[in-house]
Amino acid sequence: MSTSGSSFARRFLRAIAWLVPASERASWLTEWENELTVLEGAKDRARSAYPTATTFVVGALPHALWMRKEDWTMSGLPQDIKYAFRVLARSPGFTAAAALTLALGIGANATIFSLVNGLLLSDPPGVHEPDRLVQIARSYDDAPRWDNWSWPALQTIRREARLFEGVAGYAGRSMTLGSGADAEQVAALMVTGDYFGLLGVQPAAGRLIGPADDTTPGAHPVVVLGHDLWVRRFGGDPGALGDVVQVAGDAYEVVGIAPPRFAGVEVFAPPPQLFLPASMYPPFRGLLPFDEWGWSWIQAFGRLAEGVPFEQAEASMDVVGNVLRAADPVNEDVRVLVASGVGLDPEERDEARLVGGLLGGVALLVLLLTCASVANLFVARATTRQVEMGVRLALGAGRARLVRQLVVESLVLGLLAAGIATVPLMLGAGALPSLLPYMVSAPFTPDARVFGSLIVLGLLSGLLFGGAPSIAAAKRDVAGTLRRAGSTGGDGSTRLRDGLVALQLTLSLGLLASAALLGSSILNALRADPGFEPRGLLAVYVDLEGTGRYDGESTTAFGEALAREASGLPGVVSAAVASQAPFLAGFARSTTGPADRPNDPSVEVEAEAVFVTEGYFESMGIPVLRGRALRSSAAEPQPVAVVNESLARRFWPGEDAIGKELTGEVPIRVVGVVGDVQGRSLRARAAPAVYRPLAASFNQRLALITRTPGEPLSLAPPVRELVARLDPGLPVLATEDVHARMAASLGTTRIIATLVAGFAGLALLLSVVGLYGLVSFTVSHRIREMGIRIALGAAPSGLVGLVLRRVLGVTLVGMLAGIVLAIALGKALEGVLFGITPSNPWVFAAATVVLLTACVVAAWIPARRAGRLDAMVSLRQ
Amino acid sequence: MPRPLGITSLQILAAIRDGVSYGLELVTETGLPSGTVYPTLGRMKSKGLVQARWEDGRIADEERRPRRRYYTLTPAGADALAEGAARHRSVAASLAPKTEGA
Repeated sequence: MSTSGSSFARRFLRAIAWLVPASERASWLTEWENELTVLEGAKDRARSAYPTATTFVVGALPHALWMRKEDWTMSGLPQDIKYAFRVLARSPGFTAAAALTLALGIGANATIFSLVNGLLLSDPPGVHEPDRLVQIARSYDDAPRWDNWSWPALQTIRREARLFEGVAGYAGRSMTLGSGADAEQVAALMVTGDYFGLLGVQPAAGRLIGPADDTTPGAHPVVVLGHDLWVRRFGGDPGALGDVVQVAGDAYEVVGIAPPRFAGVEVFAPPPQLFLPASMYPPFRGLLPFDEWGWSWIQAFGRLAEGVPFEQAEASMDVVGNVLRAADPVNEDVRVLVASGVGLDPEERDEARLVGGLLGGVALLVLLLTCASVANLFVARATTRQVEMGVRLALGAGRARLVRQLVVESLVLGLLAAGIATVPLMLGAGALPSLLPYMVSAPFTPDARVFGSLIVLGLLSGLLFGGAPSIAAAKRDVAGTLRRAGSTGGDGSTRLRDGLVALQLTLSLGLLASAALLGSSILNALRADPGFEPRGLLAVYVDLEGTGRYDGESTTAFGEALAREASGLPGVVSAAVASQAPFLAGFARSTTGPADRPNDPSVEVEAEAVFVTEGYFESMGIPVLRGRALRSSAAEPQPVAVVNESLARRFWPGEDAIGKELTGEVPIRVVGVVGDVQGRSLRARAAPAVYRPLAASFNQRLALITRTPGEPLSLAPPVRELVARLDPGLPVLATEDVHARMAASLGTTRIIATLVAGFAGLALLLSVVGLYGLVSFTVSHRIREMGIRIALGAAPSGLVGLVLRRVLGVTLVGMLAGIVLAIALGKALEGVLFGITPSNPWVFAAATVVLLTACVVAAWIPARRAGRLDAMVSLRQ
Repeated sequence: MPRPLGITSLQILAAIRDGVSYGLELVTETGLPSGTVYPTLGRMKSKGLVQARWEDGRIADEERRPRRRYYTLTPAGADALAEGAARHRSVAASLAPKTEGA
């Protein structure tokens, strides 16, 4: 027996020793350790008769567990649990109210956890050893970004990245599958030949795309079907292998089926349903030279060679960067960024952590609030169980025993609530993807980890709501309890109730104020001025690339025809086609500088490059400040551009930009200056932008922008018909109301706002119920006192005042603490707010008024009863 | 006796009767896994069928080995063993092939 093995055996024994009841632990450990010593010492003599040390000590676990179980059984824990179920079943109303309240709090937390789990903790399904995968992205010296690579750049990285087992690339595209009536648009992934090999993915049937499928551009018409698509479109028939399908207008042979649930390595992407060799990338056929460095379209990741630490691979990327910079002038200031793991890039991870942290924090407040509500119910019930407790104490039950009984009841209730919480969890987790600003590759289906969190949350909340009331309940003295026999409250339990209601109000006010801040942010975003007129704009996306039928010239012709025909549609004021629509995808950048100072890196800038048809600025409502707008491609024989104010100011401060030239293969003359536009994010400042005629673009995704005085989405059907008329096989990818997208561009603010608003509503409801309960309790427990007061001539209104005064104190304390909490929460939310400061006094005022109004109603209804009391009836009670 | 002893318990009781007296030795003699032997010993101890005692430390020191925890049969344990053995004998007899007719 080796030393390491024996020390493992000993460590194992010590580790499980804590399972053994404390009174027998020392003896248990000595017995096992002593016999282990003998066993290990018996090397030469009777070794063959003995089990190995490991086999022997494994038996210590059932032994320890058995002793633990015996201890619990002896101490009556099973009876406690049985009794807890009986007690809970005896008052079904109480149990249901408590369990449902808790289930909401637990469900809220588990839902947020399933979001964090789905975004940050889960490995991509079907991928082997994801820990050794590394994302490799393009960036620049000035601003770190996570960008795509060009085809020659990817090949260079592949060749130079020596610490990697391999480097693969992929690019998501939307493509047309089939033709004619059964054509549909599906998410496709163009993958390099080593993509599946590096991920260690095994096919469900047939084979996957391999290196032999990715050597010559345009020569490998093979496709692997996603599992879902195979089931949906081919009925899961293995006969689909060998079939020929139409993808983007070309015939491809189905060679394999991807494994179920495999959805690539990106979280924020639609789940790919077709996998094609990257060498079949449609623009490679005629439009784009294979070795074009200036067209970046493919994402890269690598698998670290066995035993290579990430840091070493990261350092080695400097060399790769040098090679890239030397390879082509386009790469002048390129930098290679790497990040361990796949799924989200580091920027997205930071965002997911921020959102997860904020929502997790808010959800915990909600749990605290539900626990306070249930604790309140427990305290109220404890007063009705005083007699039971008193009798049990008098009969000789220990206080510790009683506390344990009550804690067991709380834990059982907590677990019951956790079970019910699966319903809100499933609903919440199902709704999450639609709240996110991005498509997600896999639904947030709760896994074992999420269900585990339900149990932990159930037990935790059981301790939270059950702890204090249980101790308070068991503390009472026997004689006093029996004497009072449940007639009045008016002691420690009342103070506890007051405190719990105050806590509820505090949390509610904090959540209401946060919801108000977030709601205002969304409204501000809708009212913001992005530099163009977003109201009345419809953006429609079409993807010519996916059909494989267009080259550069016919793309321009199609775009101009589309814009022309669309302006003639009824209800359309003006229309234009561009390479991108504001607040939607499709942004392109290119390095540009003033031609009079070529290669001056201090002025050169990565400008947004927008390719547009005639009438674009008019349709968008972007003011032309100087010079003129762009004409149709045919009417612009010379290379011309319109620049925005930011770019003009950067290149030619204090001068007129008209007539100046931009760097390019041939100098590009500036013919106009337009206002700045915030077209990507309302938070980001407008970037320098260059507008050029559509013919200058490589891009085959076109956005049709139409302006209408009416409801933009009402234009969607005629526009779709128009597209179908111009090219019957061309799918429309998206139709979006630009103004709505603008609000959505706040991204994660929306999911936070929606969830916090929901939580705040829940909080308001629970604290109103809590306050109502407190007032009812006060009235009913002081009913005899009130009877006396009435008999002595007190006015009914005075009695109502008496009740309300007591509640007023609780409300004020809760609200003041609530304002402090609201300020703290506002600070935490600062990063996701828009156009409002976290300490905006109107927000606090509004939240306070809402809560106060609700409190007054909740208190007044039961308090009225005090005013209607009949002296004789109440005295007799 | 609420529930008759199983074959495992009887095996261990018989081994103890025959002088096999501590855990590791019981494991090797009966060939049962340690995860069965120790909990069974514990169960029989709480039923009062066996007793456990730590041996005198001086003996262990003299023999240059760790102290052992010895298990011995109680009278109730001896009775249970006898009863169990009888029961299993009758079960075994009933399983034997019967001669037809007479």
